[in-house]
Amino acid sequence: MITVFVEPDNETHAFERHNTVLMLQKRLGLRVNDALVIRGAELLTPDCRLNDGDMIRIRKVMSTG
Amino acid sequence: MKCRKCKTPAEVALPSHNTAFCRDCFSVYFTGQVEKAIRRHGLINPGERVLVALSGGKDSLGLMLELSRLGYDVTGLHVDLGIPKSSSAARAKVEGFCAAHGLTLRVVELEKEGLPIPDVKRYINRPVCSACGKIKRHWFNRVALEEGFEVLATGHNLDDEVARLFANTLRWDAGYLSDQGPCLNAESGFARKIKPLYRLSEFETACYAFLNGIEIHTAPCPYSGGASFTGHKRLWADLEYKSPGSKIAFYDGFLKRGRPAFAQVEKETGAPLAPCEKCGSPTSTGLCGVCRLAIAVSERRAADPDRD
Ligand code: SF4
Ligand SMILES: [Zn+2]
Ligand SMILES: [Zn+2]
Repeated sequence: MITVFVEPDNETHAFERHNTVLMLQKRLGLRVNDALVIRGAELLTPDCRLNDGDMIRIRKVMSTG
Repeated sequence: MKCRKCKTPAEVALPSHNTAFCRDCFSVYFTGQVEKAIRRHGLINPGERVLVALSGGKDSLGLMLELSRLGYDVTGLHVDLGIPKSSSAARAKVEGFCAAHGLTLRVVELEKEGLPIPDVKRYINRPVCSACGKIKRHWFNRVALEEGFEVLATGHNLDDEVARLFANTLRWDAGYLSDQGPCLNAESGFARKIKPLYRLSEFETACYAFLNGIEIHTAPCPYSGGASFTGHKRLWADLEYKSPGSKIAFYDGFLKRGRPAFAQVEKETGAPLAPCEKCGSPTSTGLCGVCRLAIAVSERRAADPDRD
């Protein structure tokens, strides 16, 4: 199970499994540079593998106003 | 993915540049882009004092940090808009950031100046964002002039600039096309306005803020009916995805070949400016637009029976 928290929408999703960051981004309808993908204190590139139990933060970058 | 430069694991993938960096090499790249912008367009001269407009977002705070690291003499300016909850939260982020990095900050409170944005929204019959933008620009310019800053820097990034340029182009707005760019030279009572982040995308400034531990204000303004230019930004994200490098090519091409042509056409027009009778800001109308707004708001506020 992977837990994903999306900012600034402040929504939480739980996914059974996703092999890579790229697959997760596709699932969320995001392009590579649409959002930061954060695990702990590090940024993940699209090829990074996700592990069971991961807590991922997605921070969309498009500025508002 | 490996860092293009040092081969350690990458944290930032940049398809637009066909590259990827670890955090240290990304930092070097980011600094390089800012220095390139400053050098190429003569944004800041040695010894000049720079006033940096700080909204509390990733772009403005990242810009402030980067310019201070490059050794420039920077002072932050935050305009507290007086919008319940939202403004105090943004201001707290700016104050916390400046305190943490030992940076000087000036705050202008619109409440004290008689122009809190909620009153502008209530009493002025025009889109609140256009009045708000005008008021913010007025104060940035006014503080720069009154306190002797030669340069006024804002955190506009490549995505902001491309979206704005695209909108101006769709309208063939010759006035805006004649002077949009990373550097607007000082003239008739305005400080030089610069955008040192214009070569960096929104994604890159977001990475920079995260990697430097900058806490940013992310909640959208309660009055923003959706972000400005969002549709155009989407279109450009599609273009950039299909053809990496399109954005900077469009923008740099405009600066080299488009803007000079429009500047030529616009040279003769434009009303002469004189200091505003009340506040001294340059204007072509006797009393400047913001002073007129302040008078209208105070008259209507006084005449409002519902006002406590
Ligand atoms: S969105 Fe809010 S802060 Fe931005 S211009 Fe409009 S009123 Fe001002
Ligand atoms: Zn590296
Ligand atoms: Zn005035």
